Amino acid sequence: MASSFRFLEDIALADIAFEAEGDSPEDLFRGATQALIETMADPLTVSNSWTRHITKTDEELGALLFDWLSEMVYWKDAAGVVFHAAPLTLKWTQGKWTLCGTLAGAPVNHQVQELRNDVKGITKHLYRVEETGTHWRATVVVDV
Amino acid sequence: MLVPARIYATPTVLQSMDSGVFDQVTNVACLPGIQRYALCMPDGHWGYGFPIGGVAAFDVREGIISPGGVGYDVNCGMRLIRTDLTLADVQPRLERLMTELFRRVPAGVGAGGSVKLTRGDLNAVMAEGARWCVEQGYGWHRDLARIEEGGRITGADPSAVSDQAVSRGINQLGTLGSGNHYLEVQVASNDRIFDSTTAAALGITGHDQIVIMVHCGSRGFGHQVASDYLKVFAKAMRRYGISVKDQQLACAPFRSPEGQEYFTAMNCAANTAFANRQVITHHVREAFSAVFGPSAEELGMELVYDVAHNIAKVERYPEGDLLVHRKGATRAFGPGSMALSPEFQTTGQPVICGGSMETGSYLLVGTDQAVSDTFGSTMHGSGRTMSRAQAKKQVRGEQLQQQMKQRGILVKAVSMSGLAEEAGFAYKNISDVVETVERAGITKKVAELRPIGNIKG
Repeated sequence: MASSFRFLEDIALADIAFEAEGDSPEDLFRGATQALIETMADPLTVSNSWTRHITKTDEELGALLFDWLSEMVYWKDAAGVVFHAAPLTLKWTQGKWTLCGTLAGAPVNHQVQELRNDVKGITKHLYRVEETGTHWRATVVVDV
Repeated sequence: MLVPARIYATPTVLQSMDSGVFDQVTNVACLPGIQRYALCMPDGHWGYGFPIGGVAAFDVREGIISPGGVGYDVNCGMRLIRTDLTLADVQPRLERLMTELFRRVPAGVGAGGSVKLTRGDLNAVMAEGARWCVEQGYGWHRDLARIEEGGRITGADPSAVSDQAVSRGINQLGTLGSGNHYLEVQVASNDRIFDSTTAAALGITGHDQIVIMVHCGSRGFGHQVASDYLKVFAKAMRRYGISVKDQQLACAPFRSPEGQEYFTAMNCAANTAFANRQVITHHVREAFSAVFGPSAEELGMELVYDVAHNIAKVERYPEGDLLVHRKGATRAFGPGSMALSPEFQTTGQPVICGGSMETGSYLLVGTDQAVSDTFGSTMHGSGRTMSRAQAKKQVRGEQLQQQMKQRGILVKAVSMSGLAEEAGFAYKNISDVVETVERAGITKKVAELRPIGNIKG
């Protein structure tokens, strides 16, 4: 396992929750990013005609993941897009985490894309980022 | 706890509530300045911070304001439009009507609206709400008297709204969104009218009359306002010495600079939601006119009412001026209330409660007892009992769409997985919930409305 995610059934009755895991913080971010992408649309039905490069820094890993996922929700509305992929790198330098990511997707088109949920925001409910011995895990509840 | 918690429920409804409700209403009862009770309506279920169905009133001098008590979709609400059409008129053209509505009212992930706004226009929408729409030709002046607060809440200052919220909201006017939001064509039959005098006064005449219900709110704009101020309040709480049992209960003293700034930003989002439903109404009227021929006025497409169910408002009670948070709860003022338009002085305020897309919805009216018992508040819908993931395991969207068609309900949906998540079995029985508020005396049943067509995001 480099990164993975699964949707959680027993929490967030009216919304959507997922748990992402990774062998490293970077892989954890990849898993959580993929979970959010797939919450909004089937990425296999979305092309790459729109891109946006994003760099974010934070001393705290959980705050950075929250901020990054919130940024994806922002661009979904501000640019009217859904995502195909979001490759990223995450590095710890000079006492802080730096994330460099690229959101790649296309304007919403329900004729060709399999659209799923219109995520309105990332919430702090049960939000957790933790190291569990050999890997990293995040629990995220999104408001739809 | 500073006050007791009070949950309105029958034994059946209480058993169907998730345990989160009990923890959350207890947490709310601990917030500074709360008055009388922390309340939860019978459609209550777990929410962020406050439960959905939560009502709490705070002293404006000593109490707090909390985005978690308003709901992130600020002024999510319900609108009901009547017509002179009957089921016999509409049934033969229902497929065409639903196609036309689906084409004119954008729904689903990232859908943009037909109204192109400049930043200045959006500022005007934030300040003027549905009034701006009517002035631009999206509706009739008489619509405004049939919207809570006339479709415009005063004290909305666009300078309190972030650029991010503006960017998210500027293309969304006149869009439904997704999740549990919908546009529904419904039937009012004689056998489901419980108070014919009140129904007639509200324009509901029965005889298989066609009505249209709209459920949506302030979309990404309102959510961004809430998210922005949750961050502000998380820092402010330390400064004001407030501690809460859940991060999503972040709050600030209502009279503090942070509290006042959120209140004015929230009012901007609330006005944007009134405007959103007004533009949708305009497109609904256009669609009906395109399909049936006569103008919307000739079709009798008058507004019955538009009411918020995610909001905080200053209202006067025996204790004085209170900031009443209603989250997944509807204002329910009785006859004679000074806050109501002349149209509703004898009937009481209309209350619109949406059920699942398979079962039906209700029109009710508020009562004096609601004002005395629940800070003039009642239920807003049926309330979920099953998670979205569980619902999708039980039925596929295409299968549900076919089943509903066989039962006479045409569904147009952007997302088939989203449709499965909204299956009727994932919700409480709305009739059980309505019976609870009627027995409690905080609302009176007027009519049950049966769906024949539904648009989902």
